[in-house]
Amino acid sequence: MSDATADLSREANPGLFEHYSTAPGVFDEMRASPTVTRDHWRRLTRSLEALGPLEIGARWDSGRRILREHGVTYNVYGDPEGMERPWGLDLAPLIIPSSEWTRMEAGLIQRSRLFNLILSDLYGGGQQLLRDGFLPPELVYANPGFLRPCRGIATVNNVYVHLHACDLARAADGVWWVLADRTQAPSGVGYALENRTVISRILPDAIREDHVRRLASFFRAQREMLIGLAPRGRGRPSVALLTPGPHNETYFEHAYLARHLGFPLVEGADLTVRDRKVFLKTLEGLQPIDVLLRRVDDSYCDPLELRGESFLGVAGLVEATRAGNVTVANALGAGLMESPALMAFLPALCRHLLDEDLLMPSVATWWCGQSDELRYVLEHLDTLIIKPAVGVSSRQPWFGGRLSREDRDDLVALIRARPRDFVGQERVALSQAPVWRENRFEARSVVLRSYVAFGGDSFSVLPGGLTRASRDTEDPVVSMQSGGGSKDTWVLADAPEEKPEPQRDWIDSASSDRLLLGVPSRAADNLFWLGRYTERLEQTLRTLRCVLGRLSDEGAREGTGELVALSELLDRLDWASASAAKEYDDMRLQHRVLKLVYRSDIPGSVRELLGRVRFIASTVRDRFSGDTWRILGRLDADARTRPGRLPLASALAMIHNLILDLSAFNGMEMENMTRGHGWRFLDAGRRLERALSILSLLRACGQVGSRRADVLEPVLEIADSLMTYRLRHFAAPRLPGVMELLLSDGSNPRSLAFQLNTLLTHAREFPQDARLPGATAAVARILELQQALERVNVPAAAGRCADGECEALEASLQEISRELFGLGDEVNNYYFSHTVPQVS
Amino acid sequence: MRQVLYDITHTTAYDYAGGVSVSHHILRLTPRQTARQSPFTAEVLVDPPPAVVTSHSDYFGNITHFIAVERSHQRLAVTSRSRVGVRPAFIPEEEETPTWENVRAQCREDRSGQALEAHEFIYASPRVPVSDVLAEYAAPSFLRDRPILGAVVDLTRRIHADFKFDASATTVTTPVEDVFEQRRGVCQDFAQLEIACLRSLGLPARYVSGYLESDPPPGESKLFGADASHAWVAFYCPGIGWIDVDPTNNCIPSLRHITIGWGRDYGDVAPVRGVILGGSGQQLRIAVDVIAVDAGPEPQSGNGSQRE
Repeated sequence: MSDATADLSREANPGLFEHYSTAPGVFDEMRASPTVTRDHWRRLTRSLEALGPLEIGARWDSGRRILREHGVTYNVYGDPEGMERPWGLDLAPLIIPSSEWTRMEAGLIQRSRLFNLILSDLYGGGQQLLRDGFLPPELVYANPGFLRPCRGIATVNNVYVHLHACDLARAADGVWWVLADRTQAPSGVGYALENRTVISRILPDAIREDHVRRLASFFRAQREMLIGLAPRGRGRPSVALLTPGPHNETYFEHAYLARHLGFPLVEGADLTVRDRKVFLKTLEGLQPIDVLLRRVDDSYCDPLELRGESFLGVAGLVEATRAGNVTVANALGAGLMESPALMAFLPALCRHLLDEDLLMPSVATWWCGQSDELRYVLEHLDTLIIKPAVGVSSRQPWFGGRLSREDRDDLVALIRARPRDFVGQERVALSQAPVWRENRFEARSVVLRSYVAFGGDSFSVLPGGLTRASRDTEDPVVSMQSGGGSKDTWVLADAPEEKPEPQRDWIDSASSDRLLLGVPSRAADNLFWLGRYTERLEQTLRTLRCVLGRLSDEGAREGTGELVALSELLDRLDWASASAAKEYDDMRLQHRVLKLVYRSDIPGSVRELLGRVRFIASTVRDRFSGDTWRILGRLDADARTRPGRLPLASALAMIHNLILDLSAFNGMEMENMTRGHGWRFLDAGRRLERALSILSLLRACGQVGSRRADVLEPVLEIADSLMTYRLRHFAAPRLPGVMELLLSDGSNPRSLAFQLNTLLTHAREFPQDARLPGATAAVARILELQQALERVNVPAAAGRCADGECEALEASLQEISRELFGLGDEVNNYYFSHTVPQVS
Repeated sequence: MRQVLYDITHTTAYDYAGGVSVSHHILRLTPRQTARQSPFTAEVLVDPPPAVVTSHSDYFGNITHFIAVERSHQRLAVTSRSRVGVRPAFIPEEEETPTWENVRAQCREDRSGQALEAHEFIYASPRVPVSDVLAEYAAPSFLRDRPILGAVVDLTRRIHADFKFDASATTVTTPVEDVFEQRRGVCQDFAQLEIACLRSLGLPARYVSGYLESDPPPGESKLFGADASHAWVAFYCPGIGWIDVDPTNNCIPSLRHITIGWGRDYGDVAPVRGVILGGSGQQLRIAVDVIAVDAGPEPQSGNGSQRE
């Protein structure tokens, strides 16, 4: 293609790349010179120019919406508002042509081979590399990443690093350098997949025309690889993904990968070691686990033999690997290879172990534990990056040239005192690529994280990766933690791939494996509470809507009696009890109710409950479909409405939306969730909560004295039974009719009787364990509750209450409430009790 | 060569408040073969009977048991019994040992066999820091060109003189810095302190876990640390090997010290380390008896038999 055509094409929207100019002295990914677009970028730039800024902007908005709906998040440590930060994705991909990728692939595979050989000498062999002087012993012996208990433990096929990630940067001369290796528990591969999912929706034609290589085959290979790691050829090996839990920065990805690969997501507390084997604690009992894909750092994986203070792991895991009963990927101890100082020794190690030259260079590294290197680092401090020599520290590295005089002196003193603890690394001037900013493209520095999977037979390299861009042109650091964005990465094929694969293919038999494994007790616990909190939220919303609707009604003056009664009902419900007892006043009531809508620091407020729903849903994220996640995402988005100038109207609109969102969530769960124990406990939680809230509503209603007639209609509205009542009675509500409809009418899905019937059906299906009285006890208690309800004789008791004698009814309802709370405790004790391990 | 035979019984018993559903423990309670000692018999008894008992040799070659009790229990008792023959330590003449500067230099250069192994013990480890303060404290013993044996024996004497044995002053997790500050502690503290001093000078030193004879021979006094498991220090002397010193008793361990094993610090060779599920509190009772039986015959070569 000639320069003329490139220039011609740009005329469609000349402004799009007008502001794209790379910093001097860096490699420009997109252009060979200020006027010449590189061949492999031409199709994309042309199609972007054809779209124009408005259309790009519109597509980009839809891309962001998809991310939000998928609930793609990234947790940022130490940022109170940053928990669950939305994932930053840029519209423009990084593009790598086929011929170049072939070379990179070879370099990455070689590096992975090399790393496995080094680890098998240090952990499995005689540490000959130390004896022969290829590695200084202190880089191993004084390295916290070297886990002594793991020495001598055989690994399947002698593989230690099953997933190896490399952070790559392209220097000014066009050569890719390895900035860092990730061998502990590399993150990002799930985000890379999600990025592709989004970009392929908003740039579908460009992806097709450019013959962008698909990512699916890598995940299939990774899944097969993991299954193949099962010890001693188990018939149907079971694999689980071990996560540190929802507070981890990349928890979204853990759940996403678990779902995509079809493996259960487990936390350390879900596992137990028995008879030197690893088991998953499920409602149905202990289920063996053969392979653990870990996202927990190795030293935290076993409090018995590794870090004693860790609660993220499982006691006895090292012994289970020693016995060869479980494979952990990456192997325990593999984090050792992340030490930056090792990079200085890789070229010689590669020649020694593979008899090959290192194909992909590491960034020039000087380990200060050697005197010449120390001198070099101190002399060239201004141009170097200083990092700890071993281990990966969460602290930012020092940029020699950016330090104040004082800081610089401190750093020099630090290095001189402990030279072995530091390395100096060359600062690679990162290459730059276009990122979309508002309505145009600008240049930002990029780093590419690549992934290699290896189980012992063949290597598979993700044809793509996670590209990260710096936040602004000046920022030397490219990381998600510091707020940069990510990019899709396109590796181009020479021709369309032979067999086009579906973009998100669900791997066969994924779901059957999961069924085989049963529901972890912790997941059932969380589902039960998710059921309770969503129901509690719904009830709260209905109550608030009932009050707000009347408050905002223009003609409400005459209905003031109803509002006063409602205010009393709220007091009885033990809600917003703040300004109780004082004389009724519209403004005060409004203030109380709005606080419950907008404030998140009040227990039981809409926002507080939403926070609980969000957190607890995130702990069982892997158990919900994408659609269900979209609904939960919408719930969150809808709750962000600000009070604005019309707080009542905005609150009402928001509540309407939230109630609809919740109905959609309930509908998804009713229609789409397999009727397994997970669903059963979710629904049982909801039924229990609904039964409790009916009771507290009716007890409050009974206690409202002289104004009772005024609360009956609101009570029916809150209990979502007003229509039913009207259809049956064609008259203003009366207490006996209301009580009957909400307590004993088994055909009303909002009645107590209905909840008890449903709970009974669930309890009869609860997992049976001969050792536990669980299910039988729950069934017995529900049967008793049903009898207690029958004994109440609702019409008669309500009739007496309407005449002013409410004590008997109140006593019966109170008793039933107490029994229901007991049922909740029982379920908790029998099925979910997780005890915390203690270390001595 | 003279040999003393010891019968050793070491019981560790936990009483748990509330039931413990599962417990896992790692034990390092069985004396290993060394240049000056040979185990004859060894057994580990666990009550209640564990679901799993296995043994392996750990990173440092110590005999390590893994036990798992997998049904509910309120009490766990681990008893280790062994019979070990101990011979006198070989103690070279001070002048036969290289200067300490020489040892430091050799350990940096030499990466063969024993010297590489010694390399493990030069650096800070989780419970043993290195620091200028500790190097300064050690300095008066490490005069220029002094043979290493003389220097270490002098440091051992000074620690013994400067620090007071006080079982109430520290716990198993008290950092070396605190021990140094308050000048009090028990054998574990003194051993880790001396190791920290030696490593701060760049010298390899390791932590030795073991036992002392409980009842002294007539005319000799009872040693500190005789009623529990004991700990001392070994330093590396090129050409000779590892030489033990006991800062708690200011002596070179010989016929009255029995070695279980060694590591970088207490954490590597804790006699019992466990994780329990359940239980709301625990009481620990430890009893150690080390009884000399009689002067035994010449030892058989190789390891003694082990039963589990």
